[in-house]
Amino acid sequence: MAMPLLHRRDLLRLSAAGLLSGVSVPWFEALAHASVGRPRGKACILLWMDGGPSQQHTFDPKPGGQFRAAPTAVPGIHIVEQLPQLGQCMRDMVLLRSMRTEINDHYDAKYLLHTGYRRAPGFEHPAVGCIASHQLAAPNSDMPAFVTIDAGYDLRLDGGRSYRNVPGYLGPQHTPLAVNDPARGLENLRAAGNDLAARLELLAAGERGFSEEYALPNVNARQAAFDRAVRLMRSPRARAFDVEAEPARMREAYGNHRFGQSCLLARRLVEAGVSFVEVFHRGWDDHDGAARNMAQRAPWLDRAMATLIRDLKDRGMLDDTLIIWMGEFGRTPGNGDGHFCNAWSTMWAGGGMRTGQVIGRTSETGRNPGGTIEERPISAVDYMATLCLALGMNIRQDFQAPGQRPVPMVDHAAQPLRELLS
Amino acid sequence: MTLHRSLFLVLGALTIAVTPPGASAQEPLFERDVLPVLTKQCLGCHGGLRQKGGLDMRTMPLLLKGGKHGPAAKPGDADTSLLWQRIASDEMPPGETKLSAAEKALIKQWITKGLRTETKKDEDAHLTPGVKHDPKEVAAAIDKHIQQRLTALKLDAAPGSDDVEFLRRVTLDLNGCVPTAQEAAAFLDSKAPDKRAQLIDKLLASPRFGEQLGRTWREWICPPELPSDMNGGAQPHKQAFAFGDWIGKQITKGATWDKIVRDILTVDGQIKDNPHVIFYSLVGEGGKATPDGSARATASFFLGVQMQCAQCHDDPYRNWAQNEFWALAAFFGRTQGDFNTVTDGKAPPNMSKRGPKLPVAKGAEIVIPPSAFKNSGKAVQAAFLGSKSIDLAVEKPLRPVLADWVTAKENPYFAKAFANRTWFYFFARGLVNPVDDLRELNPPSHPGLLKMLGNEFAASGFDVKHLVRSICNSETYQRTSRASVKQDRQAIAAQTAAFGRMPVRVMTADVLYDSLRQVYGDPKLDLRADDAKGAAAMGQAAQIADPYIEFLRRFGTNEDDATDFTHGIPQMLTMINHPRLLSGSKALDAFRKTNPTPEHTVEWLYLSTLARRPSASEREAAAKYLANSQNSYVGVLWMLVNRSEFLFVR
Repeated sequence: MAMPLLHRRDLLRLSAAGLLSGVSVPWFEALAHASVGRPRGKACILLWMDGGPSQQHTFDPKPGGQFRAAPTAVPGIHIVEQLPQLGQCMRDMVLLRSMRTEINDHYDAKYLLHTGYRRAPGFEHPAVGCIASHQLAAPNSDMPAFVTIDAGYDLRLDGGRSYRNVPGYLGPQHTPLAVNDPARGLENLRAAGNDLAARLELLAAGERGFSEEYALPNVNARQAAFDRAVRLMRSPRARAFDVEAEPARMREAYGNHRFGQSCLLARRLVEAGVSFVEVFHRGWDDHDGAARNMAQRAPWLDRAMATLIRDLKDRGMLDDTLIIWMGEFGRTPGNGDGHFCNAWSTMWAGGGMRTGQVIGRTSETGRNPGGTIEERPISAVDYMATLCLALGMNIRQDFQAPGQRPVPMVDHAAQPLRELLS
Repeated sequence: MTLHRSLFLVLGALTIAVTPPGASAQEPLFERDVLPVLTKQCLGCHGGLRQKGGLDMRTMPLLLKGGKHGPAAKPGDADTSLLWQRIASDEMPPGETKLSAAEKALIKQWITKGLRTETKKDEDAHLTPGVKHDPKEVAAAIDKHIQQRLTALKLDAAPGSDDVEFLRRVTLDLNGCVPTAQEAAAFLDSKAPDKRAQLIDKLLASPRFGEQLGRTWREWICPPELPSDMNGGAQPHKQAFAFGDWIGKQITKGATWDKIVRDILTVDGQIKDNPHVIFYSLVGEGGKATPDGSARATASFFLGVQMQCAQCHDDPYRNWAQNEFWALAAFFGRTQGDFNTVTDGKAPPNMSKRGPKLPVAKGAEIVIPPSAFKNSGKAVQAAFLGSKSIDLAVEKPLRPVLADWVTAKENPYFAKAFANRTWFYFFARGLVNPVDDLRELNPPSHPGLLKMLGNEFAASGFDVKHLVRSICNSETYQRTSRASVKQDRQAIAAQTAAFGRMPVRVMTADVLYDSLRQVYGDPKLDLRADDAKGAAAMGQAAQIADPYIEFLRRFGTNEDDATDFTHGIPQMLTMINHPRLLSGSKALDAFRKTNPTPEHTVEWLYLSTLARRPSASEREAAAKYLANSQNSYVGVLWMLVNRSEFLFVR
């Protein structure tokens, strides 16, 4: 994929203009040598619909359902007619229609689908984005490995407490960088006051003295992190956080909705070397029935996601970027007014997978069409294993949790969807 | 994490490279060399849980006693030793994994050389047990223990700290905040010969000591994500903070550690009168007290033993049987608690929510629930760790009985567990690591020292300040943490690991926040993203908490290793660019009202942040900056709080 990578020469030039002017600092040389490498696997954009979106009002319509099924670009595959642009992208998408995840409680289900583990007392498993940061991030990059983007909410704020991505035993350095508002970008990125250069110069001499007197790994780590932050402020890649830098035409294509702008920001970040972006949009817990709410959401959802897929494809990035759309569970068949973890859908796109297919099948007839799985049930660990494999990780490895307790990256019982991976 | 691992490597290399007195470098020792192999290969069947063939291989006497076929090893004669015969022929271990050639060679050599064990010299506690000593005496004994080990390891101790290092370190450790400019100047200028001991006494007498200890324990006890289920989706931060404050107030009131733990273990009533009620739901599940959560926390925090594995299965590494865990949990079997109340009911609550129906527990029994995977449905009688089950009257409340045993002077874990945690707090490493993993197969680095600190703590009636005063008055605590760029990295790591040099630690979020609030003279210092106030309008009210909680979330440190630097780009950008850190300090304004000279103001800023006066070149650089920036003192303050020297506890 096309990435504006900084070269060592650029780095040296940037640094010469800034904090370290005229100062030779040993750790800086090491950093410059390491340069800014590429991430080691594929990137992921997780579009999280917090509260649980209805499968029958999106990607698994049923005869006689509230929303009508419409044909897509792939003969034989139908999704709801409210998502026509996504229908046109079907060749680049895969529908997983047979998720079976056993938990109908919001927070516990969010935990399960973010970590691949059931919540256990006194123990925090790392979120998949933090695992990606740990496994895939380019060393010494001036871009963070894992970013979350808050796409706000539309209709109401329910669906239980939000899940906070926790790195657990992988270490706090894998905590995501949070963008609270896509229009504002990354907080504190711009300098306050007008004499930053003078203040940095005042700081540099003292820092050098301290690192000579206290030549310790943690002191070096702090000075390196400080330098990375200053480099990010000055880096052309930090422009990635600014959606305003995008041509008006492109911003419009993604839609004026905050979700669309979040998708655009996600694309810019992946382009700049971020490994994992989670865009979360809240308020999908449609206890009064999904039809009316979904009718309102469909236009901006359809537009933003279809544009994201097309845009990544145009830039030659789609094969290296996996898009996943999902919530913590689906909704009851029919009007979708309840939580439903027995048979629900997620949508995957790009990522170099065998796209243009449907995996799994739910019942079409009977008393409760869509209430049961007829083919290939996908458990939470199957899902997690497939996701990690698709991003290029070795899932057969253990992390060391407190108490000298080895915890597998993904539960060994997982049966990844090999039919999806090429 | 990586720091942890490299430290282990260094320590591992050290133990192999160093020659213990009385043994040649090549001679294998039981504890150091042989036991790790036995643990990995043999103890699963010949250890605490199972003794196949009547053989238990955990200690030397047990090995010599042997099983039904006779002693496992004969000194000096490998060929007739059963241990060697069985492993040489690969008869043992019976599985697919056999001992490697190197492991076999080690065992054979160990037998041939006469089954050598480590000398037990440093297990001597130096001070008479059962008697409380003067803190100075205890401090001297601490130094003796540390020096003994350093000598054995052929390491030198680092020189003593200078006054600035000591002042800043001890103030941050005991009062959780940098000293003010006035406090710093007073100490640095004092000529009193015992000014360090005086300062320790002063800091211990301040209510801030209790506060700092209380919030440290709160951090250890509170999980990263607090339960919210019983609280309308909101996390019980307020209650958790009140719990930390409560611990602090008890200390300030002069309560001893056994009293505090007894109160926690026996609390019964409403949270409005008893802030420690929240303990049970914090360590429970879904905002409710659970017998297993209470047992796990009691074991880890008050007894220093890890029982989380034994909850679901016998723990082969720690020799805890699943039964022993549930026997401890049985004391909490009738305890019902949520965010508001804790009380003991008549019958144990049904722990099986949706699963199969379980038999009803009787009296002091608990029935293992299905969530434990193994032995679900089995009834276990209450028992103290490591002893037979006890006869308890059904009507008698069970928790006070447990509290009696936990807080008794004779309890083998209680005093040592607190001493080890306290040591860990000051030195970033316990005498036993992990800090709650006291057991035979994980011996302390300084067994005699841990024994002595435990004895002394118990003899003082579990007086927290006595223990802390003793540690802080030791030369060991008062050594420098300087590590010049000219010194050898590995030597420094080894010296620090052996407590011959103080580590450089990262300020916890609480300490950093208090220090910033003090130097900016702003009790409500708000470093949230500047759009946080408008967030409620955009539906983020649930996401963005008050300034203090958001600060704690952002600047959190590694609880397992205080030397680990964990901040990344978001923290750095906050410190560099948050407008609040450039928009003035009320403390500075108040000082400027006294009409000080520019030189004085710069000195005041250095004293307020780094607890020292600026050097000549620092004065010069500050003057140059001020001349070019229309006397922007807050720019100098910004520079100082962005210094590594500010963030680290050196």
